[in-house]
Amino acid sequence: MLLYNVKIALKSLRRNPVLTALLISAIALGICVSTTFIALRHVFEKDPLPGRSGQVFNVRLDNWDPQRAYNAEDPNSLPSMISYRDMRALMKSDIPTRQTGTFRASYFIHPDPKAGRPYAEDIRLVFTDFFTMFAVPFQYGGPWDKAADSKPEQVIVIDHATNEKLFGGTNSVGKTVRMEDRNYKVVGVIAPWNPPVRFYDLTQGLGPRVEPIYMPFNFTEPLEIYTNGNSDGWKGFDGDGHAAYINSESVWIQFWAELPTPEKQQAYREFVNNYVRDQKKLGRFQRPLHTEVTSLPDLMNELQIVPPAIRSLSIVSMLFLVVCSLNLVGLLLGKFLARVPEVSVRRALGASRWQVFWQHVVECELVGIAGGIIGMLLSIGMLSMIAKFAPNPEVVRLDPEMVLVSLFLSLGAGLLAGIYPSWRVCSVAPAMQLKVQ
Amino acid sequence: MPIGPIIRAMRHNRMRFALIIFEIALTLAIVTNAVNMILHERGLMQQKSGFDDENLIAISYQPFGAEFREESYTEGSIQADMRAIRAIPGVKAVSVTRFLPWQGGGSSGTWKTEGYGDKFQAQLYAARGEIFPTLGLKVAQGRGFVENDTPAETNVPTRVTIISRALAKKLWGDANPIGRVITSGDGESPRTVIGIIDEFYNPYSWNIGEFVLFTPGRAYDTGGARFLLRTEPGAVKSVVSQLEPRLLAVNPHRVFQTQTIAEIKDRFFSAGTLVIRAMTGIIIVLVFITALGIVGITSLAVSERTKQIGTRRALGATKGDILKHFLAENWIVTTAGLILGIFATYGLNFMLVSQLTDTKMPWYLVVIGVVLLWLNGLVATIPPALRAASVSPAIATRSV
Repeated sequence: MLLYNVKIALKSLRRNPVLTALLISAIALGICVSTTFIALRHVFEKDPLPGRSGQVFNVRLDNWDPQRAYNAEDPNSLPSMISYRDMRALMKSDIPTRQTGTFRASYFIHPDPKAGRPYAEDIRLVFTDFFTMFAVPFQYGGPWDKAADSKPEQVIVIDHATNEKLFGGTNSVGKTVRMEDRNYKVVGVIAPWNPPVRFYDLTQGLGPRVEPIYMPFNFTEPLEIYTNGNSDGWKGFDGDGHAAYINSESVWIQFWAELPTPEKQQAYREFVNNYVRDQKKLGRFQRPLHTEVTSLPDLMNELQIVPPAIRSLSIVSMLFLVVCSLNLVGLLLGKFLARVPEVSVRRALGASRWQVFWQHVVECELVGIAGGIIGMLLSIGMLSMIAKFAPNPEVVRLDPEMVLVSLFLSLGAGLLAGIYPSWRVCSVAPAMQLKVQ
Repeated sequence: MPIGPIIRAMRHNRMRFALIIFEIALTLAIVTNAVNMILHERGLMQQKSGFDDENLIAISYQPFGAEFREESYTEGSIQADMRAIRAIPGVKAVSVTRFLPWQGGGSSGTWKTEGYGDKFQAQLYAARGEIFPTLGLKVAQGRGFVENDTPAETNVPTRVTIISRALAKKLWGDANPIGRVITSGDGESPRTVIGIIDEFYNPYSWNIGEFVLFTPGRAYDTGGARFLLRTEPGAVKSVVSQLEPRLLAVNPHRVFQTQTIAEIKDRFFSAGTLVIRAMTGIIIVLVFITALGIVGITSLAVSERTKQIGTRRALGATKGDILKHFLAENWIVTTAGLILGIFATYGLNFMLVSQLTDTKMPWYLVVIGVVLLWLNGLVATIPPALRAASVSPAIATRSV
C-alpha cells in the first residue's frame, strides 16, 4: 500500500514540476538553515564522555579574599580552579575511584638535530588516572603506572601528531624525548584525538585544543614548573620563587574526581566541606563555607561553553524551519484542492477517507524527504564554511546523530505542511463534486 | 467601505487566514530578534579600542639557549632586539609588554585608593619603551613614562602609574587625578598617578574593559618576552616578513610567534561575525519567503472565488471595489498577524534573554519591523488582487 501511495505521489509530483521544485526548495532551505545551526550547537554541547560524564566531578573551593567575592559583582561566585596546597590535601582522600589535578605549562622539545629546530610545546601535567578518567584513546602503549606518579619517573605520553613529527609515526614506546635538559621515556602514544571542547580544562572557553604532551604531575615541585594557563590570585606571596607560588592562595589547578555512585558523591562532598572547615580553624577560607563538586555536564552548562550567540542561532533557525513549512501549507492547499474532482471519483469508486488522506500525506513526506536530503547536503557545505571561524575546524561537521535529527526534522516539516491540506482534500463530500461535474 | 461583509467572507476560510497570521507573527518575531542580535554584535565590534589596531604587530619569543638564564644577558638581548626592530623600515615605535589588545583578557588585579570606598578591579600591564606611541595613544594629562621611572633592581616595585580616563572618572569623578596614590588590595606597593590616557578599551571577562593601570617595568623575564610594535599605515605585511629573520640574527636560540592585532581582533569577533552573516541571510530569505507565502495564499483565494467576484462585478461592483476588498482583507490579516507578532517578538526575546545573555528588545525595532512587514504584506497582495480585479463580470453568467 505504501509503495502504491509512493507511486501515485511521484506521478502527481511530476505533473507540475515547477510547483514541486518550489515545494522541495522551501523545505531544503529550512532544513539547511536549521540543520546547520543545530549541528553547530551539538558539536560543542555533546557529551564528551558518553555514559560516564555524570560520574566525573570538578571540585572548586572558595578560598578568596574575605572582603570580596571572586567576581566582585556576584557574591556567590567562587574561583574556577583550586590552589596547589588544596589539591595536595584533596588528593589524600580515597573516596574517588580516580582523581587528578592538572594544569598546562610550556616546555621546549629538542628533537634530534637532524629532524628539526627545537620548539616550544604545550604540555599538561597529570596523574595517571587522567587517561582512564577522560577516556584518552591510545595507539601504542598506555598510561604510566602509579609508581611513576609518586616518584615521579621521567616518563611521558605523546599524541599522534608529535609521534609523527619526532618518530615518523612508528611505535615509539620505550624511546626517549628530550625536553628542556632531561630525557623522558615515551610510555604511550595517543591515537588521533580531537574533542571539540577541551573538556578537562574549561577555564579558557572554546578556544584551546587538547595538549600534545603529558607528564607526571609531581614534577611540578622539583622542576619548578609554572602554569602557562590561567592563574588568579588575591593575596601576596610569603617569600619568593616557586615555593612561595605553590604555597600561596593563587588558583591555577583544575581538579577532577570520579565518583560513580550517589553515596560516594555524598561522602566526597562531606569530605571536601570538612577539609575546608578544618582549614578555617587554621585561619584560611575566611569567606562563608562554599564548595562546589560539579559534574562535567553541569559545569559545561554553568560556564556557558557554547557561546550564547550559537544557542540563539539554533533557536532562531528552528523557527525559520517552521515558517518555511507553514508557507508550504498554502501551496499544497492550492495543489490538492485543484485535484478535488479526481479525488471525488476515487472516493465514489470506494477509496476510504483514510486512504485518500494517507495518499496525500505520503506525497507531502516525499517532498519533505527530498527537500531534507538537499538541505542536508547544503548544510554540509554551510558547516564547512562556518568551520573556518572555529578554533578546530575539523570537528565542525554533521555526525550520524545529526543526520538522523535532520531527517526527522524534514519528515516533521513535511507533516506540518501537509496534514491540513490532506485533511481538507479527504473530507470533501464526493457526491457534491460529482453532481457539479 | 463596509468591513462586515469582508470579515464574514473571511470566516469561510478561517484556517487559511490563521496560517497567514501565524506566518506573519513568526516572521516579525524572528526578524526583529535577528536584527537585535545583529545590532548587539555590531555594537561590540564597533567599540573603539583607542589603539591603531590595523598597524599593530605582536611578536613573542621563548628562549631555549642557556645564556638567556642570565638576567644580564636577557637584558642586553632585549636592548639589541629593540634596536633591530626599530631599524626595520616602516616601524614607527616599539614596546616590550605582556599587553596584547583584543585577546579577550590579559592581567588584572584588585586595588585600593583614598577617596573610593570599595576596593576595585582594573587591568594592569607593565610596559617598557614607547608603549603609548606604540598603541597610538596620547598622554592627555600629566606626563608619560621616563627612563628612571623604572627601578634599577628587578624586585623593586615601580612607584608610578598611568591610568585610563574612565578609571579616573570612576574613582574620583571630575577631581584632578594626578598625584593620587593607588595601592594593591592589601594596601601594599603604592603607585602615584602621573598621567592619564583618554581612550582605552580591552574586552575582559569582568566588566573592566575600560579600566587600566600601566606601569613602567621590565615586562619580561628569562623565560621570554613579547614586543608590541606599530608600523606606518600599510607596512604591516613587509614588517612581519622581516621580523623573525632580523631577531634570529640577534640570537638564534629561541622560537618566535608573530601575530598582527588585526588577526587577533578577527579571531576575537569570529562568533559575532558568524552571527551577523547568518542572521542577515536568515532575514533576507525569511522576508522573501513570507511574501511568497502571502502571494500564494491570496492567489488561491482569488482563483477559488472567481465566480463570486464575477457575480459582484455583474451586480455593479467596480474594479476598484474588488481591489479594495482584497487589500482590506489582507490589511486585516496582516494587522492581526503583526499584533500577535509583537507578543511573539517579546516572547522569543524573553526566551533568548533568560536562557542566554542577549540584550533586551528596544521598542523602536519592533515599530520598524511592524511597519516594514506591513508594507511587505501590502505589496505582496497587489499582484493577486489586481488579477482578481480583472475578472470579467461575464464569468458570473457562465455555468461552471
